[in-house]
Amino acid sequence: MDVLFKSAAVLISIFLLLFCNAIPSVAYSSSSTMHTNNWAVLVCTSRFWFNYRHMANTLSLYRTVKRLGIPDERIILMLADDMACNARNKYPAQVFNNENHRLNLYGDNVEVDYRGYEVTVENFMRVLTGRHETAVPRSKRLLSDEGSHILLYMTGHGGDEFLKFQDSEELQSHDLADAVKQMKEKRRFKELLIMVDTCQAATLFSQLQSPGVLAIGSSMKGENSYSHHLDSDVGVSVVDRFTFYTLAYFERLNMYDNASLSSLFNSYNPNLLMSTAYYRTDLYGRQLEEVPVTNFFGSVMETIHTDSPYRAFSGKYSKIEIPLDQSDEVKQRRLKSSDVPQELTGSNITGKHVTCPVTRTWNAILGRIGMMKELDSLVNYGLILMFLIATGSSWFSS
Amino acid sequence: MEEKTRNKINETKLGFWKWAIGSVIFRLILIYFPKNFNLSSRPEVSTPVTSLRRLAEGYWLKQLSMSPYAGSMYHGSPLLLSVLGPLTAIKIEGQPNHLLCSLVSVIADFICALLIRATGRILQKAHGQNLKSLGLDTMLEDIEILPSGDIAALVYLWNPFTIFTCVGYNTSPVENLFAVLSLYGASSGIVPLAAFGWVIASHLSLYPVVLVIPVILLLGYCPDMPPRKLFLQRNLQKTGDERSTKSHIQHRPLTNKPAEATFFWWRVILFFLWASIWIAYVLILSAISVKEYGGLPEMFKRTYGFILTVKDLSPNIGVLWYFFAEVFDFFRNFFLIVFHVNILFMLLPLAIRLNHRPCFLAFVYLAISSMLKSYPSVGDSALYLGLMALFVNELADMQFSFFLFCGYVGVSLLSPVMHNLWIWRGTGNANFYFATAMAYACFQRKGEDSHPKCKFQMHANH
Repeated sequence: MDVLFKSAAVLISIFLLLFCNAIPSVAYSSSSTMHTNNWAVLVCTSRFWFNYRHMANTLSLYRTVKRLGIPDERIILMLADDMACNARNKYPAQVFNNENHRLNLYGDNVEVDYRGYEVTVENFMRVLTGRHETAVPRSKRLLSDEGSHILLYMTGHGGDEFLKFQDSEELQSHDLADAVKQMKEKRRFKELLIMVDTCQAATLFSQLQSPGVLAIGSSMKGENSYSHHLDSDVGVSVVDRFTFYTLAYFERLNMYDNASLSSLFNSYNPNLLMSTAYYRTDLYGRQLEEVPVTNFFGSVMETIHTDSPYRAFSGKYSKIEIPLDQSDEVKQRRLKSSDVPQELTGSNITGKHVTCPVTRTWNAILGRIGMMKELDSLVNYGLILMFLIATGSSWFSS
Repeated sequence: MEEKTRNKINETKLGFWKWAIGSVIFRLILIYFPKNFNLSSRPEVSTPVTSLRRLAEGYWLKQLSMSPYAGSMYHGSPLLLSVLGPLTAIKIEGQPNHLLCSLVSVIADFICALLIRATGRILQKAHGQNLKSLGLDTMLEDIEILPSGDIAALVYLWNPFTIFTCVGYNTSPVENLFAVLSLYGASSGIVPLAAFGWVIASHLSLYPVVLVIPVILLLGYCPDMPPRKLFLQRNLQKTGDERSTKSHIQHRPLTNKPAEATFFWWRVILFFLWASIWIAYVLILSAISVKEYGGLPEMFKRTYGFILTVKDLSPNIGVLWYFFAEVFDFFRNFFLIVFHVNILFMLLPLAIRLNHRPCFLAFVYLAISSMLKSYPSVGDSALYLGLMALFVNELADMQFSFFLFCGYVGVSLLSPVMHNLWIWRGTGNANFYFATAMAYACFQRKGEDSHPKCKFQMHANH
């Protein structure tokens, strides 16, 4: 029996050795939010055939945003009426934003999330705040998180501190400000760009107070926003001026361009717009020269290049350069990538606070041994020596 | 003298070397078959802790200066990686890729068989001496005693399970070799060798650590002595009549203590000394080997932690994977403890009961651990079936031997069929495969239970 107690004691001491050396691995995760995805909420609030241009505005922006990289899963498209299949449409299933009919905006790849009478103030607020009924499908929800940049584009008929929905109800500026405040509370966006193309658009975002919001409207208080031109074939105006010049700006760009928001905002000419495109940046922290338009209008994801297929112990990742268009004005503005913090995936000997004194001395010994290079050959010699000692000792003991 | 001539006669009758060389040649022929018959991908043969393909992956990762444990493929010892790793990478033109590692397996099997043979011889000699000291050496001339060492070695070599393991591209032959080495060292009294074998065997796979008890008993006592009771009975018998001790005897008060059962403490202490030297050596070498990749704690977590926490639930012929696939997380730790204590709590009672037959105790421990370990394979059963043949002289009395033999054959045939039905054809489900695993465990259990030595101990007191 003593033998058994002794062997049990040996086993217990071996297990104690194991547990003394067990250092719990701590995973170190980043705390600051990183820009991870882009969302777009495109709202057309007008119905009836003569508001064709609002539909065309929204669809043009939809096309632009998709072309620059945001996928349908991250676009919420709200169209209050159906122009493409309207009985008065001479070109069925086609929506144009220019009288040259060069672009069919309706194409074969349009996903409308809220259509017709579903576009209401209530649904709009629910989309923004994320407070839906349980039966609402995922495609109708704004599933953004704290790393999202959201583009909110609204077009229709508006006035002083309101936007008209469906000719029957209004979204007021303080309602919008409330919704944005709720979004900020619930961390549903990192940055928000509100773009409004209505009459007296700037009043709609006058009540905003949440940080991280950038807003631009097509006209100021007391000004109207005008349509660009009339398409005599379709019979109605097909696009508004503000959106027309926005699209003119974006048609020059592709996904990898580095054009900044300030160049977009400076491209609006009040004479051509026949109104003043007013933007407010007091809630927005960054300089507009440093923000590329693709931060909101496109979706250029930062690729983190890693050499190892597995999560190895050396946690620092290297970044690749995204190919840049070397135009003159672009050279000054470089894409600033946010820093990926170093991840410690397991127990790291050098950087950890070790409590067990045995392990500390052990690490000190190992540190000195580590000075010797070619550990592998050392291990091999050790193994050969072990077998030699085993055979030698057994030879002498037999 | 008589025994030696008898052994020589038995040898020439048996032709041990002929059969041994024959089995080696057979293995060599099988190695050259393309892709090992896909044995290396069978879950019965290679498990997550013994598969050589995983070792090759770990070695490749190490060559890329990454931790060999990254990606949760390799779960073995870093020392084995240094030894076998380069062998997996070296390719000789015109030969199959796995040639060198399979040669290592064949050599390990052969040495293991020789060690089993030597252990069997020592056991037989000790048995003969014990019978002589009991005054029963007249029995030796009457009955024919089979050379258990030779038979056990041949059983080990020609067991289909061993051949599958050898050809199946895994590390079980090496682990079995070190387990048998420790038993051989203990039974022949070479303390450093016993300590070396035990330390390396438990370092490679955790479960041979239970062999410390039989090894200590072997070193302390002589191998496989009959129980003290028989010596008491012998003393009583000398005062009484000349009858065989196997029949019931009247109970008489004891007059003198038995003088034969001495326990050599100094050998056990020497064993622990050598064991601690080897443990320190192995741990230092492992620490140097994995210094860059998180050190010893990481190694323990990935090797022993993996075995103990059963992280990989891919099906095998054990009984743990099925249960842990469905247990709730809340109870997972509790059931892990239950399953592992299932092995541990059997150690003490068996040690108390069988403390005078340490070799048999080692066989029982190995059988239990191969039944209840987290990732069993046929390599484990190959080992204990070989050791079982060491006690072949008692096997003649074994009950249900034909039933058990058919059971083993049936399970080995049905298990791949059920696996195919479940995984490849989709006409079965996990229950089919688990049923064969449970049947396998039952046959193993029945095999231990019905072993005549077990039965003899149970009924000795009645």
